[in-house]
Amino acid sequence: MHRWHKLGRVFGPQDVDAPPWMQSFAQAPCAHVLDDVVRVYFSCRPPPDANGQYVSRSAFVELDRADLFRVRRVAAEPILPLGGTGTFDEFGVYPVSVIRDGEGWRAYYAGWTRCESVPFNTAIGVATSRDGERFERLGPGPLLGYTPDEPFVISGPKVRRFGGRWYLFYIAGRVWKRVDGRPEPVYRIRMATSDDGLSWRRENRDLIAPRIEADEAQASPDVFESGGRWHMFYSYRGSERFRGRENGYRIGYAWSEDLLHWTRDDTRAGIDVSDAGWDSEMISYPHVFEVDGTTYMAYLGNQVGREGFGLARLEGSL
Amino acid sequence: MAAMRWRRLGRLFDPREHTLPAGCREYAQSPQALVFDDFVRVYFSTRSVDPANGKFLSRVAYADFDRGLRTLRGVSAHEVLPLGGLGTFDEHGIFPFSVVRDGERVLAYTTGWSRRVSVSVETGIGLAVSRDGGERFERVGTGPVLGASLHQPCLVADGFVRHIGGRFRMWYIFGTGWRAGAPGAAPDRTYKIGQAVSDDGIAWTREDGAIVADRLGPDECQALPAVFAIGGRHHMVFCYRESFDFRSHAGRGYRIGHAWSDDLVRWTRDDDAMPLTGEPGDWDGAMQCYPNVVEIDGRVLMLYNGDTFGRHGFGVAELEVAR
Repeated sequence: MHRWHKLGRVFGPQDVDAPPWMQSFAQAPCAHVLDDVVRVYFSCRPPPDANGQYVSRSAFVELDRADLFRVRRVAAEPILPLGGTGTFDEFGVYPVSVIRDGEGWRAYYAGWTRCESVPFNTAIGVATSRDGERFERLGPGPLLGYTPDEPFVISGPKVRRFGGRWYLFYIAGRVWKRVDGRPEPVYRIRMATSDDGLSWRRENRDLIAPRIEADEAQASPDVFESGGRWHMFYSYRGSERFRGRENGYRIGYAWSEDLLHWTRDDTRAGIDVSDAGWDSEMISYPHVFEVDGTTYMAYLGNQVGREGFGLARLEGSL
Repeated sequence: MAAMRWRRLGRLFDPREHTLPAGCREYAQSPQALVFDDFVRVYFSTRSVDPANGKFLSRVAYADFDRGLRTLRGVSAHEVLPLGGLGTFDEHGIFPFSVVRDGERVLAYTTGWSRRVSVSVETGIGLAVSRDGGERFERVGTGPVLGASLHQPCLVADGFVRHIGGRFRMWYIFGTGWRAGAPGAAPDRTYKIGQAVSDDGIAWTREDGAIVADRLGPDECQALPAVFAIGGRHHMVFCYRESFDFRSHAGRGYRIGHAWSDDLVRWTRDDDAMPLTGEPGDWDGAMQCYPNVVEIDGRVLMLYNGDTFGRHGFGVAELEVAR
């Protein structure tokens, strides 16, 4: 049995002399171990506009490889500009999953547009980079858009390569539920496979059955291999009153022998909200990575990362 | 190619003269014919007003005619396919509604409209199926079968499908982007005709890029392709206009274009091969758009909309073919 020993909050824009486009939030951490540093990509926001609406930008912070609580560098510019008028990513690039591809890098991200009857819609785009710091879109539209079975809110991409094959774990919306007059999306975890990372075949089914209620929303699947099986940490929440502790995001766990069929066992997540502090109301966007023999989970706390992300260290084995 | 021309037969249907479902009063856009043994059903998109904000909602109805397209037999009392649910691609309108028979079923390729904030709308192509001969349709899933993609970033619409040579083939349009025609103006859209193929009518493989050459240059909008065959050659009619100042500026609005192909791969644009000219002052004097061609009892007939994008109905023209 494993558990995650919390180490505390690592980074939020309020900790540094951040530019205006990085005023708050450090969401959806995605780590890459480099020579001297661990680069963590994340998404952040400038102040809201006159209508209280945000856009999301994506950037990175580099942490000292020997002391992950020491910030060595913060990106000077967003890694990708926002999309043009009327495109799927005009109002946000969040979250981002970055993967190395030969000498270069690729980023899979959710782009945000604004709608009239519901507040937003998202779809997954792709961009490439030579240095991993500035990315360019492969095209102005989405790589994974809407389909008969995945009608809206395609988001939360995590791209992986296992055995030469590309895997994309993501979420797809199933219904917009009206809660106290406000449309709230319900989404589930999905998967697609590919030979080249560009042409994807979707599985077209939910990987993880809902547990806490029929309209449970699931987000941010994070998959890795360890000990001969695959592990997935993800987040889930209720469909109502989820902006506070009662029904807010928690981290769940599932395992699989074949990447296709998953056994959910949230009792083995090994991490929960704290009694007090920055992660006392919700925890979400788990991302597991290894640095020099130690396995860490980066995750978000209250208000889905308004104050940034923290780290926990794996104790025991998966 | 022997000269052919469309002979105008006049307006066939004026929505103001009929009781339409869902409180619709005006617009009968994009007529789409489905031929039965003893009548012709013409689906069209009419409009109601959204009580929430006064904006239009496009809804699908039909009118039945005799096989000569001369006499109206009846108008649907019901909506053929209700609008989509909250947040779906076809929540705010279905226009057009393009039908094709598939054995006992009738397939409808819909264009769903949903409103945006920075631009007016986004669209996608959906699929609905009728098993009762075209009275009512049910969606295949709640999302589109064809929507925005990496190189076709917005406004995928106007799917027209035929089963040819063992495969489903779709002609449709995709947006190339939104641009303001003048400083401070609301963004306008530009779109082009593309094509895709499918084995099941649901999963489509599209060609990237436009297939019909521009006549007006890069700002040309091409819409609503309809494909038919005459003597072994494939013909496409569509409508085209300028991207900007097209609603009221004479000469910049929709008119009918034409292209032909012998292999369904390469299309040669030749608007003059099959011209249609509106009659100044008549119902189609300033604009001709949204063509749909049907062959009935040896006649090749084109349904189309006239002025103000079909606010006052659709008419018909007959092809005079040199045989």
